[in-house]
Amino acid sequence: MTAEASTAGEAGARSPLSGLTGKWWFWAAVIVAVFAIVGLDVWGLDEDAENHKAILSFLGDGLVGFLKAVTEPVALFWLKLGFAIETSMTGLLVGVLYSLVALGFVLIYKASGMFNYSQGVMVLFAALTFVGLTEYGIPVILALVMAVGVMILFAIVVEFLILRHLVNQEQIILFMATIGLAFFLEGFGDTIWGSNVKKIPLDLPSGAMDWLTIGDWNVQVQWLDISAAATGAVMVVALAVFFNKTRIGRALRAVADDHQAALSVGINLRTIWIIVWSVAGIVALFAGIVWGAPSGVQFSLSLIALKALPVLLIGGFESIPGAIVAGLIVGFGEKIAEVSWGDSLGGGIENWFAFMLAMVFLVIRPQGLFGEKIIERV
Amino acid sequence: MTMTQQDAAAEAVPASADGEGHLAEHDATVREAHRRAIGDVMLEVDNITLRFGGVKAITDVSFNIREHEIFAIIGPNGAGKTSMLNVINGFYHPQDGTITYKGNVRQRMRPYEVAMGGIARTFQNVALFRGMSTLDNMMAGRLTKMHGAAERAFDKSLADIPVVNFLTYPFFWTADFLMDAFYWGPYQKEEERHRRRVEEIIEFLEIVDIRRTPVGRLPYGLQKRVELGRALAMDPQLLLLDEPMAGMNVEEKEDMSRFIIDVNEEFGTTMALIEHDMGVVMDISDRVVVLNYGRKLGEGTPDVVQKNQDVIDAYLGVSHDRPG
Amino acid sequence: MFYREAGQFSTTYSQDQGIWSIKQDKWATFAIIGFAFFIIPLFASPYLLTVLLQLLVGCMAALALNILTGYCGQISLGTAGFMGVGAFAGYKFATGMRVLGGDGGAVTAATELVPMIPAVENIFVAILLAGAVTAAFGILFGLPSLRIKGFYLAVATLAAQFFFQWSFIRFEWLYDYASSSTIQAPRLSLMDGWVLPFKVPWFTWDLQFFWGTVDFTMKVSGPGYADKLHQYLIGLIFVVLFGFIAKNLMRGRIGRSFMAIRDMDIAAELIGIRPLRTKLLAFGISSFMAGIAGAMTLFLYLEALEGAEAFFILDSFLFLFMVIIGGLGSIMGTYLGAAFITLLPIFMVNFLPWAGGLVGMSINTATVEHIQLMVFGGLIIFFLIVEPLGLARLWQISKEKLRQWPFPY
Repeated sequence: MTAEASTAGEAGARSPLSGLTGKWWFWAAVIVAVFAIVGLDVWGLDEDAENHKAILSFLGDGLVGFLKAVTEPVALFWLKLGFAIETSMTGLLVGVLYSLVALGFVLIYKASGMFNYSQGVMVLFAALTFVGLTEYGIPVILALVMAVGVMILFAIVVEFLILRHLVNQEQIILFMATIGLAFFLEGFGDTIWGSNVKKIPLDLPSGAMDWLTIGDWNVQVQWLDISAAATGAVMVVALAVFFNKTRIGRALRAVADDHQAALSVGINLRTIWIIVWSVAGIVALFAGIVWGAPSGVQFSLSLIALKALPVLLIGGFESIPGAIVAGLIVGFGEKIAEVSWGDSLGGGIENWFAFMLAMVFLVIRPQGLFGEKIIERV
Repeated sequence: MTMTQQDAAAEAVPASADGEGHLAEHDATVREAHRRAIGDVMLEVDNITLRFGGVKAITDVSFNIREHEIFAIIGPNGAGKTSMLNVINGFYHPQDGTITYKGNVRQRMRPYEVAMGGIARTFQNVALFRGMSTLDNMMAGRLTKMHGAAERAFDKSLADIPVVNFLTYPFFWTADFLMDAFYWGPYQKEEERHRRRVEEIIEFLEIVDIRRTPVGRLPYGLQKRVELGRALAMDPQLLLLDEPMAGMNVEEKEDMSRFIIDVNEEFGTTMALIEHDMGVVMDISDRVVVLNYGRKLGEGTPDVVQKNQDVIDAYLGVSHDRPG
Repeated sequence: MFYREAGQFSTTYSQDQGIWSIKQDKWATFAIIGFAFFIIPLFASPYLLTVLLQLLVGCMAALALNILTGYCGQISLGTAGFMGVGAFAGYKFATGMRVLGGDGGAVTAATELVPMIPAVENIFVAILLAGAVTAAFGILFGLPSLRIKGFYLAVATLAAQFFFQWSFIRFEWLYDYASSSTIQAPRLSLMDGWVLPFKVPWFTWDLQFFWGTVDFTMKVSGPGYADKLHQYLIGLIFVVLFGFIAKNLMRGRIGRSFMAIRDMDIAAELIGIRPLRTKLLAFGISSFMAGIAGAMTLFLYLEALEGAEAFFILDSFLFLFMVIIGGLGSIMGTYLGAAFITLLPIFMVNFLPWAGGLVGMSINTATVEHIQLMVFGGLIIFFLIVEPLGLARLWQISKEKLRQWPFPY
């Protein structure tokens, strides 16, 4: 195996396609084209089906059968337009929840380069604290304020006990530390608040709204979902204002851009960390309340909160718009996948579909949705 | 009593050749002989253009490097020097232009293929494997040369037979893997063989006493030296040095220059180096190419380049019409 | 005083590159292995053996993860998933890949193929085959590692974990269409029918001599059939053997290429290391060992298990904790970390209720579990802050101290 430079160097002239094979959109186009040709045929939408069948027979029944199995459910799904729209809406609104959890990740990553694995547990801890406080008879508003206080306290404790001791450590060490933090927080929350399901004591609107009628299908949207989306939108706007209009926000952006430079102009990194973790904690609180509204909160939900991770992979760790858009993509995508292919695969593919989607996405585009192309240097 | 195991090992593994020979003062006659030994063109860089998005890092640069010579690439910061090395290395792929290495026009190659072809490299910011000891770092440099016994047998017998090589390779690979796993016979000999070569280089570079030290703990100057050692361990035909003397004091610079010259003379290694210290560049290099804003300003022997008006302007910052 | 290397010199490079830096270490290692093989069986109770088996499985899995994460720098959160693959592969091999339709075992078209695949009856072969299958899956899931790095990759390995967890329920063929989706280790024995007409010390793991016979049959697997002691011995063989193999690989060229990729992948590629090949090799070796750990879980430790439950995501994290606490990039540390993380909960389960009783609190199992989570989390953070290199580093420091004792100057 002496792959000398010369042998590799002589390996043939460039093929005309060589420029294209590296482009992700080329492959996307190929896939779409194949789907279109095969799809038109197998769904009987192609008027010239006989001719195309002849072409397709070259590909063999195996490939056609496979593609049919993959594409047909998707097509059938969209043919029932009313149902499709309703499902998509549900998916998108679930996506908003993912985005909300992911937002906390992004905030902390931007400010401290820390991949905060414990964000999912923070969401539940915050929500449980809020619910637990109301169970002691504290009025809702006061409990909300107190929960915010607890999250700020948490941020201070984390900075004091963990962050300041891990300055300048490798990112991977920080990541593992947050896994430890997640374990600790989960055990802590369980010990204090118990591990049973708790109902959110808020009178969020319930029931469904008739939205559209397509054919004989009434498209319904849950009021809860709408309020979740509204909360999400409000949080995003609030964060945008916070980041762009306030002095602290500008300092945060400075830190995110360049730690050293920010330090040199007199920004106190520790204060910034406390603020960022507090903001992430507050985001977590609201996310947790919205998340738990339909069926209550308990710690087993923290595993579902892991779904925010593929959202981050797709959106990129540093991009708030990325987190939002990717959340919608994941929520939408996994709903469609479940409805289309779930039956033939035996159901429950929601558990891993988002992760697989993210993995495939990353292989095609490692820098994420809104990330800039990474130029490696030595 | 405080003697460590490493020291014991160091004593027990005596120098194969005495270090004094390498330390000989630079001698003008040797230098002259060496100059005459400069051979044919080894690497030809032809009209290279490299873009990142809309930014042109290198524009239409051509030069060649001859066998056994010390070739310097100089220029102000951001002139595209490191990018040029990265292109030669196969780390960046230029949009235009060709690179001819040892008579073959090179297609788009992965960096490891380039390394296997005999081009080694040191880095501007030390890029050692921080978790490993000096010795392991340098042994890592031998990895391209370390083949298992079974693989060598495969190369000799079956590697060129079209279908058979494909079918039988897994078995040879597995045999090697098992020998590795049990550190057994032929593999142990292989390790020893390469260790011997690495020890030679360790002595040559006078880093015997830090053999077992994790490189993360070494001072900067020594790290640079270990990095040179790792590159030398690859037994390269062409050695690319990216600012080998950056951030060093005068003494360390002298040491490093001496090593570069010695390597060039004793091993006959061709060298291309980037350096900001003009005194050093003019002293040790045979030929120089000057880059500025990604373009070539001039090329030639140090004397010629020093007198080139464009070069003087670029370095002294005199305003001039810069094309592009 | 006794622990120092005075007078020991390496006279060849091979000696200098040996596993043990000084002779005392070598003796200590052999003493520990000898103790585990020959002394523990003399007194171990079934409970102790169960604990030890859990420890052996933990060692194996942590070893797998340490090769991938500690040496090659690719974080994996899917260790438990790969172990599951190993367990199911081992099960299918040992049961001859049989195809049963429905719960009753109705004949399907594929049933005709079955007699062609004999059931593997040797436990070593079954476990190694399970490892090989897992390695194939590991390499498949390692493919994205060329383009995905750091914790992007860590999250991507979660995909493997969730996917496997799902498939252990979804693909009914894996558990022979049993309604509970559990698998039971088949009965396996070694050296069946080998009998010696007289007794020799240790041959029956006791010290008797001459009276009676020695039955060499080792009942290595199958609930209600297997002998815990025999299972322990088989597990020990695997752990010692693969510890040795891992150590050899990691001090040789393969280990160096892994560490180069870990420390600086760009520089590694520029000195001629093929990144994809190296990473895939790491994934392959690691998941091979993870598969063995999984097969050991099935055959030796749990004997009956439900895939999605026995190889849950939290287990993946526990193995990661073993590696962190033990020491990333240290074989020795792997064992220390595995022992620590395995034994700590057992200690706490016994100790906490007792301690609670002292102060008049009743602590139930759920609370103990919660406290365990907190302790694990706290310990991880503590170790990362105080000694990121883990127990292995502490061990090394104490050895340095011991070398100089009693004259530190």
